[in-house]
Amino acid sequence: MIIDTQLASLLTAGALIVIGIFAAVFLDNLIKKVIGLAFIGDGANLFLIAMGYKPGGIVYIYLPGMARDFFAQNAAYPLPFALVLTSIVIGASTMAVMLGIIMVLYKKRGSLKASEILGE
Amino acid sequence: MNLLIPLMVIVPIICALFLNLLHKKDRTIKAIAIILALTLPLLPILASYGIHYFGGYAPLAQNPTLSTGLPSLITGTVLNTFHPAITYAFQDAQKLFIFILGLVAFLAILVSLFETKRPSGVYGFMMFMGVASVIALLLTDDIFNFYVFFEIMALATVGIVLVSGVKGNYETALKYMILGSITSPLLLLGIALLLGVTGNVNITDIIASLKIGVVDPKNPVLLMACGLIVFGWLYGSGLPPFHTIKSAIYSKALPHGAALLQAFSVFTLIALGIIILRIFSYLPFSQMIILGVSLLAMILGITMALLQTDLKRMIGFLAVGELGYIGIGLGLGTAYGITAGLFQAINEVVITAFLFIGFGVIYYQTGESDIRKLGGMMVKTPLVALLVLLAGFAMAGVPPLNAFQSKLMLIQASIQAGLPELGVIMILLSIVTFMTFMKAFHAVYMRPKPADLEIKNEKIPRATILSLIVFLVVCLIFGLFPQLATGFLQAISSNLAGGMP
Amino acid sequence: MNLYDLIVKRIKEAQKADSDGLVTNVSTSSMLTAEITLISSLLVALIMLRLVSNVLMIVAVLVVLFAAILAMPLMPRLKRELNDSLFNMTFYVVLALAIVIVLFYWGSLNV
Repeated sequence: MIIDTQLASLLTAGALIVIGIFAAVFLDNLIKKVIGLAFIGDGANLFLIAMGYKPGGIVYIYLPGMARDFFAQNAAYPLPFALVLTSIVIGASTMAVMLGIIMVLYKKRGSLKASEILGE
Repeated sequence: MNLLIPLMVIVPIICALFLNLLHKKDRTIKAIAIILALTLPLLPILASYGIHYFGGYAPLAQNPTLSTGLPSLITGTVLNTFHPAITYAFQDAQKLFIFILGLVAFLAILVSLFETKRPSGVYGFMMFMGVASVIALLLTDDIFNFYVFFEIMALATVGIVLVSGVKGNYETALKYMILGSITSPLLLLGIALLLGVTGNVNITDIIASLKIGVVDPKNPVLLMACGLIVFGWLYGSGLPPFHTIKSAIYSKALPHGAALLQAFSVFTLIALGIIILRIFSYLPFSQMIILGVSLLAMILGITMALLQTDLKRMIGFLAVGELGYIGIGLGLGTAYGITAGLFQAINEVVITAFLFIGFGVIYYQTGESDIRKLGGMMVKTPLVALLVLLAGFAMAGVPPLNAFQSKLMLIQASIQAGLPELGVIMILLSIVTFMTFMKAFHAVYMRPKPADLEIKNEKIPRATILSLIVFLVVCLIFGLFPQLATGFLQAISSNLAGGMP
Repeated sequence: MNLYDLIVKRIKEAQKADSDGLVTNVSTSSMLTAEITLISSLLVALIMLRLVSNVLMIVAVLVVLFAAILAMPLMPRLKRELNDSLFNMTFYVVLALAIVIVLFYWGSLNV
């Protein structure tokens, strides 16, 4: 393996965030902007979950018959997984509200161009 | 009674969720909403200081029943002192903050119940939900929990703007959400970096692990985390470059909504500001950045306010400018400066809400907030005009009122810290604030009434007058007896000023 | 032409692109006050550079003073720049992000 899984995820997360910011700033179509924003959120989530990675670790479920020391030494860090779940839910609801507003604006203005709708 | 600590967050959430079940029974909803909103300022007064552990337990060191029989791998290390729970800490500063937030929320909700047609529905839901999340922001000692409520607050803010029906509200709300969706994930990224370096999201534990050297404080990743969290702080509180969108948000909400929204911003500013100071005060750079941004907020906010023609936008920019004063207090980093900054925060919340609701009467009566089309309202509402004038005096810092005390403290603190220039700028901008206010006051109240100005609602609800008087009383009390407020703030300020060894 | 008319003329020129072209006494004096406040508070703020170096402070104050006088009126430009269009807002947000990150990373490593 040339680069390990954690480093790969961190790099992917960074790329997602950069692409997302680029899309959110420079693309004019509102839906494309929102897709870019979803990229930023996903990048942050991927980053967060990569923090819990442990090389060669096991799932943090204490199965019957498992030695206590073995579990303590090999289980992955569970906190980021719990956090990222919450974060995904928040991201989804934000996205839903945003798309809802875009629908209303499209009905009112008949356009999806940010430069027309969200200009001065 | 530590049971009351979670109730401070739970009660408003319950209000938000269940008031809508009684939809269309307007009288019942009004009565229940008023009673439950009244508990918002009462709960912090009744609750005693303490720590509440959500979904977990106290640290093992304080928990002998749990720690007996555990291997020394756990009890013998730093794990023994960590908080395995979402921790809510309720201390004296929180008591004051939540009381003031509860008071502003109660009065804003009271006014909204009488000034809007329908008491139940999305508006009430959003107001209660926003209050719940800001109370959680103030209480929480867990930085991820902070992020969750930060996002809920942003959604509630958008909701309050969306239901206002002011022209252009959808566009402004969408802009706010787009900017928020760029910024909040970056705040989350900062939290993830902190988590990655320290393995913890509890702020006390993060500080402990930095202090005892489990984590190297000079780790460059921590600097990055600090930068990202500061960036999230700018967004949450509406400091530059977010001052334009924040003031636009205030201007697109109804006046009582705007009164609540500015309270959200101010309390986010101090909640996250305190977290930044607690974790990162060992970086001298963090304080410099806070000072610089606050200075910029003051200058830009107040000069831009002068140029506005929309009444609500003008107060919105003034509110952003006043945020700068709080930031200066926090950025000075001395105990006296932090006390002054936090005291200014409380005063600003009260005064800006006072101004929004006071000028909101004009909007309620005429449906107009463009100062070029208003005039002659003094004849219609002399009492409200007097109250609004006093609110303007309070904001500018005229003696017997509260902002005088806090601004004086801020100026003294800046001189003590060796930066008298800040004091000069603060005085200069106070004068300009007063001029901005007088410009609006003259245009709205003292100029002859334009012929085409229609009065839609002749009668002002008594609840509005009542809440304005309550605000005035609070301003007077804190102005005459500032130690009532500063007494609550001294402990936290001396803690923050101590910094890290 | 007296000074007031001159100022009104400059403001009118600067506001030409604005939608609300009405220039009244009140808006002129607000613009003037905002202009003076902006420049004077910036200059006072620059004096704080004395903590870094006295020479730097003097140079910075003089440079900013001359730049401000040459670039007068600043306020209408600032108002146009800080408008409500989303593109401008996101631009400044990303700029601020870059500045904050660079300052924190570079500044803290070198303090």
